[in-house]
Amino acid sequence: MKQKLVFLVLLLFAVSTFSIADDFSDAMLKAKKNLKSAMDKSDEKALIKVRGEFERILQLKKDVWIVYYYLAYTDYSIAATYMEGQVKDKIKKYTESGFDMINKSIEINPDFCDSYVLKMNLNFNRWLYEQDKMNDIIAASTEAEEAAKKLDADNPRFHLTLGVSSYYTPDMFGGGVDKALESLNKSNDLFKTRKEKEEYYPDWGRDMVNGFLAMCYIKRDKDGDKEKAKEHIDKGLEINPESGLLKVYVQKLYDEKYKK
Amino acid sequence: MKIFTSLVLILFAIGTSYAQTKDSTEIKPVKISGFVKGEKSKPIEGANLVIQGTIDGGTTDSTGYFEFETEKTGKRNLIITAIDFSEKKEPIEISAGKDLKINISLMKTVYVTDEIIVTASSFTSGENSKVTLTPLEIMRIPGADADLYRAITTFPGSNQVDEGSRIAVRGGEPSEVLTILDQASLYNPFIFDGDNNTSSYSTVNPWGLKGINFSSGGFPAKFGNVLSAVLDLQTYDIPKTKGMFAILGLANAGLSGVWVNKAGDFGGTFTAGQTFLKPFLLINHSDAEYSPEPTATSLGGTLSYKITKTGFLKFYADYNSDNIGIKSLSPTYDGFFTGKSKNFFTNLALSVAPTSVSLLNLSVSSSLNNRKFGFGNMNGNNDNTYAKVRGDFSLPLTGTIDFGTGAEYEYSRYKSDGTYPMYFYNLALNAPVFSYNADKNTGRFGAYAETRIRATDFLYFIAGVRGDYHTLSQNFNADPRFSAVLKISKHSFIKGATGIYNQYPTLSDYIMSFNNSLKPQQAIQYILGYEYNRDNDFILRIESYYKDYSNLVSQSEYGFLYGSDGKGFARGADVFFKVRLKPKFNGWISYSYTDSKRRQTATSPLQSANYDITHNLSVVGTYNLTDYITFGMTYHVSTGKPYTPISGSIFDSAQSAYIPMMEPFNSGRFPTYTRVDVNAQYIFSFFGKFAVAFLALNNILDNKNLYSYTYNADYSEKIAVRSNNNRIIYFGIGFQL
Repeated sequence: MKQKLVFLVLLLFAVSTFSIADDFSDAMLKAKKNLKSAMDKSDEKALIKVRGEFERILQLKKDVWIVYYYLAYTDYSIAATYMEGQVKDKIKKYTESGFDMINKSIEINPDFCDSYVLKMNLNFNRWLYEQDKMNDIIAASTEAEEAAKKLDADNPRFHLTLGVSSYYTPDMFGGGVDKALESLNKSNDLFKTRKEKEEYYPDWGRDMVNGFLAMCYIKRDKDGDKEKAKEHIDKGLEINPESGLLKVYVQKLYDEKYKK
Repeated sequence: MKIFTSLVLILFAIGTSYAQTKDSTEIKPVKISGFVKGEKSKPIEGANLVIQGTIDGGTTDSTGYFEFETEKTGKRNLIITAIDFSEKKEPIEISAGKDLKINISLMKTVYVTDEIIVTASSFTSGENSKVTLTPLEIMRIPGADADLYRAITTFPGSNQVDEGSRIAVRGGEPSEVLTILDQASLYNPFIFDGDNNTSSYSTVNPWGLKGINFSSGGFPAKFGNVLSAVLDLQTYDIPKTKGMFAILGLANAGLSGVWVNKAGDFGGTFTAGQTFLKPFLLINHSDAEYSPEPTATSLGGTLSYKITKTGFLKFYADYNSDNIGIKSLSPTYDGFFTGKSKNFFTNLALSVAPTSVSLLNLSVSSSLNNRKFGFGNMNGNNDNTYAKVRGDFSLPLTGTIDFGTGAEYEYSRYKSDGTYPMYFYNLALNAPVFSYNADKNTGRFGAYAETRIRATDFLYFIAGVRGDYHTLSQNFNADPRFSAVLKISKHSFIKGATGIYNQYPTLSDYIMSFNNSLKPQQAIQYILGYEYNRDNDFILRIESYYKDYSNLVSQSEYGFLYGSDGKGFARGADVFFKVRLKPKFNGWISYSYTDSKRRQTATSPLQSANYDITHNLSVVGTYNLTDYITFGMTYHVSTGKPYTPISGSIFDSAQSAYIPMMEPFNSGRFPTYTRVDVNAQYIFSFFGKFAVAFLALNNILDNKNLYSYTYNADYSEKIAVRSNNNRIIYFGIGFQL
């Protein structure tokens, strides 16, 4: 009798837990979809709305590290919308908020590689508004890089981030297109076999890596690079036909270079 | 079985009832709308609203407007959050079929816990965002020669001592400034210190510091046995990267490195440097004669081990030595002043978090300093030994009150021997001397407790008390201290501090006292100031202060023993104005007005103190021409330092030397001190590695600044002793290995 009672209570608990889990998963997947759509359009207002969605999910499940990860990622994406206009106070506001969120996520789950990859990206933003802390930025970026590498050296977003960093770093300071291509090609290869543990885990970057590979080839412009650039633009758009990076930015670079 | 059946029925009933309730209360969605605004009714974009316990909610647009629908009814809480604003919980009542309109105001989040905000008179650097002085700025300040202490003298309230790295603060003596490194007292972080007509340099590497806090007054109870100012330095817990860096300059070469293991829990750093002035003197055609030419060697490093997720064990060691001989003139002896010193400092520090919110720091440190010097018939050999054990513990008592306490024991010993002139006015080699041999030691126990209270989002204060017991003099002192900050607008603050500060005289002073009877020297400080600080891009700070000195070491009227009858005051105002126009320009103007008077004996009148420098102005600017090229310029002007003139002499036939006739103490002043320094830096790639080239032109206008006066044999002619810092050029290169 006692066993049946315990079983029933456990069953009810499990049912209610699964019910919350389903709501949580559904809400996460919906918010993640909205995030992707807002990012493709580089729509700051839509991103701010998505941020609210993630904040509200915390009402369903308190202190879930993956929600904090997405809050940080959304903050990073909002900051990115201000990059072109160099609106430094906004970049700083959302980058600093991104740091707060990702630190909360890491505090709960210190073993998630993508959190450190995101931290590397957030640190790059700091160059735009506090160059005078050069020493600290380099140290913090290196610390995040080491942690990410240690947790999952085969994370394609880790190599994508290294590639992007090399692309924007002048040759004289250890960056450059050739170094970027090395990391981006590795990232591209790793994406081919990559499968995330949960559907709502971060899976960004598949289109982006093709975008940056195309940018590298356009910039290098050796024999055959034009064709490779086109190939990656097409591949990226095949993965994500709505990619703002590819449709608006990379395609424009390509046209300016080759269609005059 | 019956129980089981009943339970199923109850659960069924609850489920049915829940379903029915749900049906009856969530029939038609209700629209909730309104505006979220901040200060001065400014709309907040991106604020998030959610009904507590649900995911029903919305986000505001650029006008602060929001709307969303919900099927929930009844009394609920609406939670509103926005970046940079405090979270708000607003009770609402939702009635079925009735839309709800609601307007909400949010308050800006006030971050008042950073030291820069809560402590008056402090200039802070570090990992937090409230940075006033960064290591990069220290490197770029023209004339500072990449020296932390020299950089600090471009801030108000502090003066260089003989163009060296020692600092005199707000009319006080250099000995009233204490340097703390990871809880340990760093008594002699200088080379060429105290040598005749020579500038000292600091041995602290600014790049190894994660935090720099310089407080020119009003510092809290955790800092004891210091009268005027504290330079509190924290080194990095564990290196974050690996690499080596080398510097080769006209007068020095250095190598430094960092290393950390793969797990990131064990690492170390090292620095090694050698100073050699020969090429520097050759190029700059110095008037000074040296024998031996100045050299200095330094070697240091750290070892760190991460013992837990938040705990560290860190060992720090530093050795430096110097050797110099410089031609000096005096009425009775012309020859080389020779100085030689060795310093060795170690600190073992343990930092652990006993609970998730508390912090415990423990440290054991020791310091050995030997200094030999000679000039004419004077030869000295001094040894200073220090050892210290210290513990600090802090924890938050509530969300708004933090508590800190700590204790320390410090042992110090002073040993001196040598020969000194029998007659102070006769330094000739064959003049009579007396032998001196002294050895004294003491202990000091200190303890403190302090609370940091955030009374409201706008008012924050620190109240504390410390006590110290000095074993040699058997004196005890209790020092209450209080400081407060009132935030009056988004970027502006009013700050105030008051407290009692005691500092025991040096052991060499106690040797000169009767029966170790010297009391602790005391200063009661009062500070009031205003600061406007817009994200450290625009800072205006005005501060006034008054220091009431008593029990200062004094000279006896007739004998040679020291007493505690000195008293005096220092009062003044500091103005600091800093502008940073990112990414191109960074500059500041600092001005200090000081009036500092002291009594030298029990009955003498108040006279100018040694560092009664009435006006002191520094203008510093650095400009980034490109991302790789930076120029800088510093202009410094100040009232000349007081000195005691000599009006004539009486011939002492027994000694065949003249006895100088002194005018009142510090009644003369050197001419106004002026200096312009410029520098440039170029960052480039050197065999594919990061490299930086630097060029400095100090005292570019070749102003004739003075160190002191000396005299001819009968004191009829006054001879100016010029600073060795004529117009000088210095260049070098630093590169990654």
